[in-house]
Amino acid sequence: MKTSGRILAQKVQDIQTSGRLSIRSASLPTWCPGCGYFGIHQGLNNAIQQLSLPHHSIVTVTGIGCAGRYAFFNNTYSFHVTHGRTLPVATGVKLANPALTVFAIGGDGDGLAIGGGHLPHMARRNINVNYLLFDNSMYGLTKGQPSPSSPVGTKTKVSPAGTFEMPLNASLLGLSYGTTFAARLFAGDPESITQALIEGIRHEGFSFFHIYTTCLTFDKENKTWEHLKERVHPLPQKYDCSNLSKAMAHILEDDFSTGVIYKKS
Amino acid sequence: MPGVDLTIEICGMSGDGTIAAGTLLNEALSGAGFSIIGFDSYPAEIRGFGRCVTRSRFGTSRMLALSDHTHVLISLDDQQAISRISMLGKNAKVLFDNKPAGTVQEGMSIAAHTAPDADLYGMPFTDLASEAAGTTRGKNLAALGCFTGLAGIDPRFFYTVIEKKFRAKGETVLNANLNSFNAGLTYAHTHFEDAPLVITAPAPEKKKVQRIMLSGNAAIARGALDAGLALYFGYPITPATPIMEYLAKTLPQKGGKVVQMEDEISSIGAVLGSFYAGKRAMTATSGPGLALMAEMISLGVMSETPAVIVDAQRGGPSTGLPTKTEQSDLHAAVFGGPGDSPRIVIAPTDVAECYQFTLKSFELAEKYQTPVIVLTDFFLDNRVENVAAADISGKKRVDGNIYPPKKEQGRYQRYLVTPSGISPRALPGSEGYIYPATGLEHTEAGLPDYSEPVHMQMNAKRHTKIRQALADLPPPKEFSQKGPLDLGVIAWGSSFGAALEAVLKARKKGLAVGALKVISLFPYHEEQIRQFMSRCRRVLIPELNFQGQLANLIGHLHHGDVVRFNRTTGTPLLPSEILLKIQELLQKDNT
Ligand SMILES: Cc1ncc(C[n+]2csc(CCOP(=O)(O)OP(=O)(O)O)c2C)c(N)n1
Ligand code: SF4
Ligand SMILES: [Mg+2]
Repeated sequence: MKTSGRILAQKVQDIQTSGRLSIRSASLPTWCPGCGYFGIHQGLNNAIQQLSLPHHSIVTVTGIGCAGRYAFFNNTYSFHVTHGRTLPVATGVKLANPALTVFAIGGDGDGLAIGGGHLPHMARRNINVNYLLFDNSMYGLTKGQPSPSSPVGTKTKVSPAGTFEMPLNASLLGLSYGTTFAARLFAGDPESITQALIEGIRHEGFSFFHIYTTCLTFDKENKTWEHLKERVHPLPQKYDCSNLSKAMAHILEDDFSTGVIYKKS
Repeated sequence: MPGVDLTIEICGMSGDGTIAAGTLLNEALSGAGFSIIGFDSYPAEIRGFGRCVTRSRFGTSRMLALSDHTHVLISLDDQQAISRISMLGKNAKVLFDNKPAGTVQEGMSIAAHTAPDADLYGMPFTDLASEAAGTTRGKNLAALGCFTGLAGIDPRFFYTVIEKKFRAKGETVLNANLNSFNAGLTYAHTHFEDAPLVITAPAPEKKKVQRIMLSGNAAIARGALDAGLALYFGYPITPATPIMEYLAKTLPQKGGKVVQMEDEISSIGAVLGSFYAGKRAMTATSGPGLALMAEMISLGVMSETPAVIVDAQRGGPSTGLPTKTEQSDLHAAVFGGPGDSPRIVIAPTDVAECYQFTLKSFELAEKYQTPVIVLTDFFLDNRVENVAAADISGKKRVDGNIYPPKKEQGRYQRYLVTPSGISPRALPGSEGYIYPATGLEHTEAGLPDYSEPVHMQMNAKRHTKIRQALADLPPPKEFSQKGPLDLGVIAWGSSFGAALEAVLKARKKGLAVGALKVISLFPYHEEQIRQFMSRCRRVLIPELNFQGQLANLIGHLHHGDVVRFNRTTGTPLLPSEILLKIQELLQKDNT
């Protein structure tokens, strides 16, 4: 017992002195305990650490929603903007100072509904911005309304009879808009998030990270942890991420494979 | 000798070279030393087919507005020009293309339509051009030659500008144009010996003032360039697009970029992002675009991020009257957007001010960390004036940014409450000053906080800051005698010139009237405006909108009568109609 206690204490000290925590802001995340966003937070932080990016050279532009609150939970420059407008603001930041590493972060409502018109043009501009779309198929911050990626029949307070609209597939949209780097990831697997981010941050151009996550507070039936964990799996062993038409065909067939789905060479 | 004050119109079908002729005419008259204000109108909707008109008012004293009447009409296409006859003043001169008998349809010559008092000069523009240059394309130049001959203006002023315009196109083109011009000139000299239309050029200025012919939009673009603009983001819309076109040609040469965005929301978003990261950026739009920007402008207010937005007003509401002039976005510019969101709104009144205040707006945006809206309109954007080169250059570029001191490294508070309301702003990339910027109400550190004291304190901070800006904003300018006035005319934007001209004319008639030019619309110089008003028995506010939006904004500062004079017909206000209103008001007072 004593030994393991000492080991634990040593581990804590190691973490504290390693500087790994310094990327976290002094204000702790206010997300619900168990929210998928914690996993993404960990994945992104590790990528920043592993790439040794100076924190003051990073700008995190975030939208409105639970995902948008990311701006306050990281020790980087951040700009918490209006609902849906991360990508235009990130465009301005990156063009103004290309030396900055720029992240844009928002939810599925932010990026597929109100701000859905910006993704195609961001892809067209192909400016070196890293966009993380937290897809929980739910409006979290406004307490549980369906999002554009909610499956047909989603029941909420504003859709008591279930939704009739077909869900959007963010990854497929990203590919069809001509994104030069696209990854589909899962909040329950921070390690693969880190790996994909490292690759995407290094990519010279727009990088799109479509991240499945869960809103455990408001979603009790669709994208729950159990549901996602059961289905999510890595891309096939021999998957070729340089072939756009194959990538699109794959995405149409498989809703839950994760990894770097396309990288324009 | 009375001063010259004449208005010339050239009218033709698109393809006749109407606009080119108007431009040459303006340049040549400017070279001759006249003051010019010119305003073209082309086919209202899709360009390329229809009537083209250029209107130039020129004279020996400074031209402040358009005039009521045309003194000389040059018709390059009678069918089109017939519609301009209603603009002719008494004893107007009409120069038209005298085609051989039988080639003109019955009733289609302008000669059959003009009033009996008009002087008609039928001159064979087309034939002169084709004889002189082997092509009819130079008929616009032949017409200019005819006019020059009739007016007795030194043709060298035209040679200079023709050379300048056509030199680059090669000797053949240049000569063809010169020959066409000369053919017209000779024709006028030989057929109308004692030049019936003598226009005496002003005596050459003692110190030669270099003048540049410039539109309001070009002046805005040049102001932005001289301010060190790095990035322009925009979405095409009439009448703002020429600013983007001008910058697309010029900004890349200076290492900057022009990016056409997907809409106005993203345009202002990128402008905010750019300023946030420390580079000067701008967007220009019109009412519909300004409406879309409202939420982002208020993000700029809340997050205290600079931005420069040009709102080139057109007729509204909604898509409205895209090619008509109006001053109806004042409320939207000053008040648009969620919450109490004070920002700076300035309205230039002439072309030189378009340059000066655009340039200044970047410094103001940085210093006060706020969106600045430069409010222009279709008339001001598109009119040309020959401004003194000194008025549109040589202005110093001032960095308005206030950076945090070194000692704050490590404990920097982005939204520190200070007496001036201005908190030093660190730029991303600087070590030791990391902070969140946000559109949520926040503490001094930038963290979300909706508590009562914080919101009160921060609202007060943002308003204090904008009030401070008054000291840096152009104050109202008064044009009047000292002492009490029977009437004070207060105007803004492109309408001010007409108001001033009306007031100057009224004063010549012995009336006790004065004019006040209000440039800064928000914040506005309450004290100075009140002082002026307190000397006026009545106040008249003429503006091109239906409600009287400036009157709504500042009318409460006057204890007495505030008379609104509003017109929304899509055309600029004229001095004569304001003068008439002044006389009517003062007459009423006397009876
Ligand atoms: C213009 C505007 N409309 C509506 C809202 C209200 N609103 C805030 S967050 C949000 C949706 C959030 O959902 P999502 O983007 O999926 O983010 P999540 O909370 O799930 O992370 C809405 C509708 C707003 N802030 N601004
Ligand atoms: S409401 Fe949903 S998305 Fe928002 S923090 Fe809670 S679990 Fe996460
Ligand atoms: Mg969501």
